[in-house]
Amino acid sequence: MGAPTKETAAENVAIENCETNKGSDMVTSKTIKSNKTLKRTTVHRIALGEITPNNLGQLKKLNTVLFPVQYSEKFYKDVLEVGEFARFAYFNDCCVGAVCCRKEPLKETNQGINSDQAKLYIMTLGVLAPYRNLGIGTKLLEHILQHATSTTQHPKFVEIYLHVQTSNEEALNFYKKYDFEVVATVEGYYKKISPSDAYVLSRKL
Amino acid sequence: MFSGASDSWKKTKKNITQKENRKNVVQKKKTRITKKDKALDNDKFEEKADEADFFCTAIPNPVRRQYCHGMQTRTWTRPDRTVRVHVRDFFMSGTICKLLLEPVNELSKKSPKHWNDNDLMNDNDLMPIIKLLAGMGEETTMMELALGSPHPQLVNFANTTYAWVFNGHDRKHYEFKQYKKGLKAAEQILKKYPEHGETLAMKGLFLNHMERKEEAHEFVRKGLRFDLTSHICWHVFGLLHRSDKNYGEALKCYTQALKYDKDNLQILQDYSLLQIQMRNYEAFNESRLRLLKLRYNNQRYWIGLAISYHLLENYESAEKVLKAYEDTLKEKPGPMNFENSEMLLYHNLIIEESGNFEKALEHLEFIKEDICDIRSWKEKRALFLLKLKRYPEAEEAYRDLISVNPDCYNYYDGLLSSAFMISSNELSSEQREQVLDICQELAAKYQRSNLIKRLPLQYAVDERFKLEVDKYMQEALRKGVPSLFVNLKKLYVDPVKEIIVEKLVEEYLQNLKTNKSFTKSSIGDEIEPPTAFLWALYLLAQHYDNKRDTMKALKFIDEAIEHTPTLVELYMTKGRILKHGGDLSKAMKVMDEARELDLQDRFINSKCTKYMLRNDQPKEAIKTIGLFTRGDAPDPLTDLMDMQCMWYALEEGECYRRQNNYGKALKRFHQIEKHFADITDDQFDFHTYCLRKVTLRAYLSMLRLEDQLRSHSYYFRAAQNAIEIYLYINDNPKIVDEAAKKAKSKAKKAALKEAKNVTPAKEDHSKKKAQDDDPEGEKLLKVEDPLDEAFKFLQPLQTLASQRIETQLLGFEYYIRKKKYLLALKALKRAYNIDKENPILHVNIIQFKLKVSMLEKENSDQRDPTRNPTEYQAIFKVVDTELPTILPYENSLQAYNEEFLARNKGSLPHLLACSNVLLQLNPESKQEAANILMNSVEDEFLNTRSLKNCVSVYEQLRDKLNSSKAEEFKNKCKEWFSISTYFHDLKKSVG
Repeated sequence: MGAPTKETAAENVAIENCETNKGSDMVTSKTIKSNKTLKRTTVHRIALGEITPNNLGQLKKLNTVLFPVQYSEKFYKDVLEVGEFARFAYFNDCCVGAVCCRKEPLKETNQGINSDQAKLYIMTLGVLAPYRNLGIGTKLLEHILQHATSTTQHPKFVEIYLHVQTSNEEALNFYKKYDFEVVATVEGYYKKISPSDAYVLSRKL
Repeated sequence: MFSGASDSWKKTKKNITQKENRKNVVQKKKTRITKKDKALDNDKFEEKADEADFFCTAIPNPVRRQYCHGMQTRTWTRPDRTVRVHVRDFFMSGTICKLLLEPVNELSKKSPKHWNDNDLMNDNDLMPIIKLLAGMGEETTMMELALGSPHPQLVNFANTTYAWVFNGHDRKHYEFKQYKKGLKAAEQILKKYPEHGETLAMKGLFLNHMERKEEAHEFVRKGLRFDLTSHICWHVFGLLHRSDKNYGEALKCYTQALKYDKDNLQILQDYSLLQIQMRNYEAFNESRLRLLKLRYNNQRYWIGLAISYHLLENYESAEKVLKAYEDTLKEKPGPMNFENSEMLLYHNLIIEESGNFEKALEHLEFIKEDICDIRSWKEKRALFLLKLKRYPEAEEAYRDLISVNPDCYNYYDGLLSSAFMISSNELSSEQREQVLDICQELAAKYQRSNLIKRLPLQYAVDERFKLEVDKYMQEALRKGVPSLFVNLKKLYVDPVKEIIVEKLVEEYLQNLKTNKSFTKSSIGDEIEPPTAFLWALYLLAQHYDNKRDTMKALKFIDEAIEHTPTLVELYMTKGRILKHGGDLSKAMKVMDEARELDLQDRFINSKCTKYMLRNDQPKEAIKTIGLFTRGDAPDPLTDLMDMQCMWYALEEGECYRRQNNYGKALKRFHQIEKHFADITDDQFDFHTYCLRKVTLRAYLSMLRLEDQLRSHSYYFRAAQNAIEIYLYINDNPKIVDEAAKKAKSKAKKAALKEAKNVTPAKEDHSKKKAQDDDPEGEKLLKVEDPLDEAFKFLQPLQTLASQRIETQLLGFEYYIRKKKYLLALKALKRAYNIDKENPILHVNIIQFKLKVSMLEKENSDQRDPTRNPTEYQAIFKVVDTELPTILPYENSLQAYNEEFLARNKGSLPHLLACSNVLLQLNPESKQEAANILMNSVEDEFLNTRSLKNCVSVYEQLRDKLNSSKAEEFKNKCKEWFSISTYFHDLKKSVG
């Protein structure tokens, strides 16, 4: 498994708790049951948008706020190349979150490098604190999953995986809901934050 | 004159039809030209003006008769390329061959396939007809022609036979080549007859088209010298001036040309264009009348005449002309004929402007069926009903309009005016209540209208206002409307409303923070989105910035940025707050941060550029604005100039002025003057275009706009800056030399640099054209008399912005330096009538008084300028009678000054003016003047304690009064303006 270099390390700390938001229907449906911890907001528009060289500044802003890691210029360059696998999330027309993935070739299979199959690695997925619990993270993840499993996708993705700091319960619960499983623990994955260990979460596609 | 002539007009019209019929018969006999050609009517005259350009000249006869016949045969096979030209001025002054400028000019207005016999036919059938082949295949350039009637006639002059040669071409493809050929032909003639005036003039015209302006002028002048009585020479000279946009001179030339050929249609037409361009309405009217008399079968000439009467405010005649024309139309144009509709609406406009609304309404109803522009029609009808006080009908009309567009403010205004029978801003409080009811009713009906939601805020007061604004703001904050504050700000004219808004939003903020609702206890299941909290913060930040409570505004905007750091608007507002607080450098940085969030947003890019200029970073600014200028322009500045981008020139000019780079600053301000001159020149094309397209109402409003053009705020700002700089140069002539020295050393450095990196010659060449011969504006600085230059900017302000007090104050500064005392007094009086309490005016009046008193005391030969003593006596006499109207003499000047201060309590600018006057009256009273200024630390000055005012006071204390109090005052300012870089010694000057 190709471990990510430290500077492009995956961060998934800023994941919302989606316990009460099941599925994407909550985005549009008005019949959501009222819950003591969550009421429906009066105006609620979520949309996804492309990341382009022109609005890259907004991604940089988001990352500095959301993650305790500084990303390299290469990270931002790569983001522009992955198409559907990097998206902004807009809530009522304000940019409040983003997801950025990286395509990785499969290695060390029996036949050598398989060019028809690949893995998808979620580098970052995060939503600004005031906008959590509104189904925005769900929307981002579902977008990625949908495109990763699309029949027209080539090479075909067989696996999607990511790193989560071991202390980040919120994120772990979020991903587990989408059938991600902890497959490994990397010790000392993070350099400057504590705890420095990270789980590897993975889901076969 | 014209009025009462409509009877004779009908007769004339009859004549026309008869004549036309006769002519048609003649044509049929003579030429059998296709029916299509005949049907082509003159209205389409200039339709294809761009397609062809024709020039003609005479050359020694190369054409054999046989050849001509052959050509004629061919014309039948290609009828679309055959043209008959009627040469009216075939022989002028007997034997001299003429250049066929006039017919050719007419022809050049349309494409060859549109030529027909009618074009240049006149009634004299004895005149020869020239047949012209307008091209034989794609690239035909030179066309020989035969002189008709009945055989081609060659002209014998001085033992040489001449034939006519036309040069014609498709302008798009062969322009250059053709002028060249025309030139060649002209030169050929000149070889034999070097003193033939008209040929010389024509040669000049060709040269002019070939970008050889100087030679062109030389030849045209030479031609004129040899043939002063030729209308062609004068016409060519006029054309030359016109192409140089020297309309005044061109006008004179046309006058001369018409002297020798008074019914020349082409010259008259051109003449009238120049007259309207120069706003010479009387003369314009005369030309239009003559034109109509020459060509009464053309709509354009009728409308042109109507316009000329309209501009003279002779509504009666204008209307009569249009009516006469409408009546003679044989058949009514179809129902959806746009041109006819426009003409009728223009007709209606004339009646409206004559003030007779009764008649206008009647006419409006009469033309209803023929109108395409229904909306305009309805608007006018509603307006007339209102003016005629037929209120119930007017109300209904406005309700109808609102149903068409419920977002138009004027309609509501009209509705309310007709519902309450008075102007909507004179409503009683009871009526205001009723307005709210009407609004409610309409709001229910037009739920998508934004305006109807905002309208109640304007009329409601107190509790009702609170209710309405509460509803309005909640909805906007929930939805996320960034412009909310801009809408609310207008309501702040009522301070009560401002307080209500502030209180409400502060409450929202608390409630949103604690229970995600606008109210204390959330109702129902719904909560507000996090964006509502964000927009509330944003609103409050803007609100406090507007109150110049910088620290509070910063607190809120920072909180908003922390909440959602990706929003461009937040950074922009933060930048603005910092700017208002006096930290331009940080403001610029924040704007740049905003810019980087969205690189394709031109607006934020421009804003950022502006903030860089405010922070005196012109190099950074040009780099930033360059991101959005055209890539193929040699440099951003050239493109900005081409695009007439004035805000940039203004800001950059002011930036250079702050940096004492007066040459460059003037350069920018002159640039703006040039843009305005260009806009004025650009209207020239519309004089013909609008007449042809019958867009008459728009044309009228354009003429009126052009008349007021220089009252535009951009011009005003540029002019004010330029005048102030010229006055400064006048007072400190040394700076010109210093600037020259600086520029020299700079040029040396640049030359050294250039020598180092030698660029290839090729590149150099392409750049040369775009290069400015005076990039540093040195020439603008080194003027003979800066005051004269100042006056050039002042004059338009005096005619077009005389109601702005700055105009009059600048006028005073100019006249007092020019030592024109009575004009200075006049400027003061005008300023006094605009705002008699203006602080600068106060200083100026005293200054004037002292100056005149000093003059009176002086011996007559010491006075400057030396004038006849009696002249001075006359001046003093006028001053004696006029000055007291603005400066009462009963009291001493000191007492007057104190009164002035007492009248304007609590105002910093007035306090400053007062201390200034004190110093003028007694230069020794520095201490006292400083003491007065120190009063400004009192609380009563809170309202006028702006950063700008405090900087002025501080500089007065420090520089003019050399007061020890300056430091004390500065410390106070540090408290008041805690982020101002000026008072915290981070920067030298402030914008």
